[in-house]
Amino acid sequence: MILIVNTTSDTSVTEEMKRLTAERGLAAEVIEAAGMNISHCIGCNHCWLKTPGECSIKDDYGIILKKIIHTDQLWVISDTALGFLDHKGKNIFDRILPIATMYLKFKGNQMRHVPRYKGKTDIGIIYRGEPDKEFLQRWSERAALNFESRSLGVFGTDKIKEAVSCMC
Amino acid sequence: MHVLIINGSPRVKQYSNTDKILEKFTMGLCENGTTLEQYEISDKKQWEDIRGAYYKNSNILIALPLYVECIPGLLMEFLETLQPKNDGTRIAFILQSGFAEGVQLRCGEAYLEKLAGYLGCEYAGTLVKGDNFSIRFFEGDMRDRVTGPYLEMGREYAANAGFDTEKCKAFTGAEILPAPVRLLLRVVFRTIGRTMFTRIARGWGCTKPLDYRPYQ
Repeated sequence: MILIVNTTSDTSVTEEMKRLTAERGLAAEVIEAAGMNISHCIGCNHCWLKTPGECSIKDDYGIILKKIIHTDQLWVISDTALGFLDHKGKNIFDRILPIATMYLKFKGNQMRHVPRYKGKTDIGIIYRGEPDKEFLQRWSERAALNFESRSLGVFGTDKIKEAVSCMC
Repeated sequence: MHVLIINGSPRVKQYSNTDKILEKFTMGLCENGTTLEQYEISDKKQWEDIRGAYYKNSNILIALPLYVECIPGLLMEFLETLQPKNDGTRIAFILQSGFAEGVQLRCGEAYLEKLAGYLGCEYAGTLVKGDNFSIRFFEGDMRDRVTGPYLEMGREYAANAGFDTEKCKAFTGAEILPAPVRLLLRVVFRTIGRTMFTRIARGWGCTKPLDYRPYQ
């Protein structure tokens, strides 16, 4: 399954993605998150050490988290600021901590948290605005390590067709 | 020199590892007359004051934990409200993380260098160090063992108005842990590490296994 989370107020992007994924016969679910109540991560570590797997913040992110666990690809559509994802886009990633456990291991030669679930979720970014694309690509590859998965790439909203071609 | 210090951690001050690092760092910083003012991003009531201090000060230091390979969303939200300064202000960063190896922080460090430019400030370097997750769980000498080395880095910053020195670069430690250390840690993670984390969790009132899957 493909999950598309749109943190921008521009729904024309998701309309286009719905059309393109339907044309390809892909199962994609779109969440319009711009109007949702989604907090930043407060770093409480409760999801690791007090209520394993559950976030202490009871807001609309819970809906997204439960879907991420069962999805093969997560695409986040985000506005940009200061060359990077804006805070709404970044918050979607910061709040993924419950999918990892407190336990540690080495993946290759680097420490990582042991994943809580067996499934792997690849990640893709669609941005609006003008980020430092080279850095955003580098960051998305690092961020994918937190899902034990791979980055599907970063695409501007003028390259939606290319992004959808990466979906399967 | 007067320094504006912003604790960019979203965690409240009481439990903030970054705050405990700053406690030691500022002791070293102030030894020879450097003064400072410090604010917390986690307290949104301070944001207006932080903005005022940002525009007023010419030496700024932001200390932050690594959140998913870059800066925390809450700090980003605050920074989005600022205008570029373009007045010669120097900005430096302390970037800290739980994972121990330097390589884990390099992507975040690369962004901070770019961020200085977006804010119209001169980049004065980033002090990069991991292995700080345990600070919250320690007190007294045990905590000092982790945070104590930051005192010397405070002196370094005061002497150089930044972190662009060999001493600061060496502070990171190993980029990748040596193979024998990794081998040992693999065993520790599966045994003592799990026991220790489970014990901490019990102390927090946790009643489920730490690998529990609520949404399976």
